[in-house]
Amino acid sequence: MSGSFFDRGSTIAVPNFNRFCVPPAAIAVHLAIGQVYAFSTFNIPLTRLIGLSESAPGDWSQKQVVWIFSIAIAVLGSSAALFGRWVERAGPRKSMFVAALCFAGGFLLGAVGIRLHSLWLVYAGYGVLGGCGLGVGYISPVSTLLKWFPDRPGMATGMAIMGFGGGALIAAPLSVLLMAHFKSATSNGVLESFVTMGAIYFMFMMIGVIAVRVPPPDWKPAGWVEAAKPKALVTTAQVAAKVAWHTPQFWLLWGVLCMNVTAGIGVLSVASPMIQEIFSGRVTATAAAGFVGLISLFNMGGRFFWASTSDIIGRRATYMVFFLLGILLYSTVPTIGFGGHIGLFVAAFCIILSMYGGGFATIPAYLRDVFGTMEVGAIHGRLLTAWSVAGVLGPVLMSNLRDYQLAHGVPKAQAYSVTMYVMCGMLLVGFLCNLAMRPVAAKHHQGAA
Amino acid sequence: MKARLAVLWLLVGLPLAWGVFKTLQNAVKLFH
Repeated sequence: MSGSFFDRGSTIAVPNFNRFCVPPAAIAVHLAIGQVYAFSTFNIPLTRLIGLSESAPGDWSQKQVVWIFSIAIAVLGSSAALFGRWVERAGPRKSMFVAALCFAGGFLLGAVGIRLHSLWLVYAGYGVLGGCGLGVGYISPVSTLLKWFPDRPGMATGMAIMGFGGGALIAAPLSVLLMAHFKSATSNGVLESFVTMGAIYFMFMMIGVIAVRVPPPDWKPAGWVEAAKPKALVTTAQVAAKVAWHTPQFWLLWGVLCMNVTAGIGVLSVASPMIQEIFSGRVTATAAAGFVGLISLFNMGGRFFWASTSDIIGRRATYMVFFLLGILLYSTVPTIGFGGHIGLFVAAFCIILSMYGGGFATIPAYLRDVFGTMEVGAIHGRLLTAWSVAGVLGPVLMSNLRDYQLAHGVPKAQAYSVTMYVMCGMLLVGFLCNLAMRPVAAKHHQGAA
Repeated sequence: MKARLAVLWLLVGLPLAWGVFKTLQNAVKLFH
């Protein structure tokens, strides 16, 4: 680690370097860590490590196993917040390498936990160590991309964060293939799949480690001139991370991200049972799996589409669209459901999930507009704690409101209506936070007396 | 530089295209 290869200085690009070589480096890291969204493919096999074909006495329960994912997501948010400033200091190559070590190490330690049948070791491995890899990996390319693409910051970070959404699309079928390949009379293939995936993802993340470059100081794209009069909310000043999170703007954006994510993640957590219950007898479990796949594609595509759109219409306007269109769609979904219009129902959720992904992908550029690029990676890391909160809030709200409705005699097909109206309320809060955004006061700028 | 650019995009594009294809294969079941 002390070798110069990993130092920021050795990643400075040569003259005439093609800046479009940097997004694939970022995408490689995000495609790998996006695997976490497909972790549920391991849930059932992990409850059958002893019984193999079905759970046996001594096997872990489903309830115990789902904590692995929850721990990983919680550690993602907290490690991004904790190590954000280190990532800024160390540079993208060193931080991507550490992320690769942690993420792959998490798989390997998890595999040891499976071998010894120690659930705590799996929690510590994939959950904690792997979660640190997720957090550091998620933020490591962000500020580099923003510096390479000052003319199109939304598009640049949108591409990387689209990779995170795409990671699940690769990992789900890959996990199934690997488990089928390694299945034997004495193993259901999970242990071997963990080891293999650890190795594959380490090598894949190394593409990012090797390819990433930072621009020379004061570099600008050829022919690009910074606007003499920046748009409203776009600053030319710089705000340090330790100052940023004491400003109202940081907490307003925290609210914007948290509300947008809560609404989307709540739907994702119940997508399959929800469509089967609302259209009971018309949508099978297989078709519901197709619905989950389709909304995952829109979640991924929305990251690039909305973040790129934000470069044209502005960050605040993009979130206004998310919240207003979101309120309109969530409030009409119950009516669409009662009317039995499956096509419209699917279309509504495809748009909703595209805006969920778009919310993640547009936030780094929004932070850059408000706080400058100096420590935007660290500020982004701290803002990701909103994701950790939303990751718990969304699914808990969805399932508890549904259960409450069912307990009060509401038919299954209508049990999600109140939930949709509650989501509208959350989006309204997000809308108000976004509406209240103003430029950061000059006293918070770097170098201000 | 152009070859490096193409190789990098292929390295990330091919796995992503495979993932999208597998997901689309699954998604069409919704319309059957």
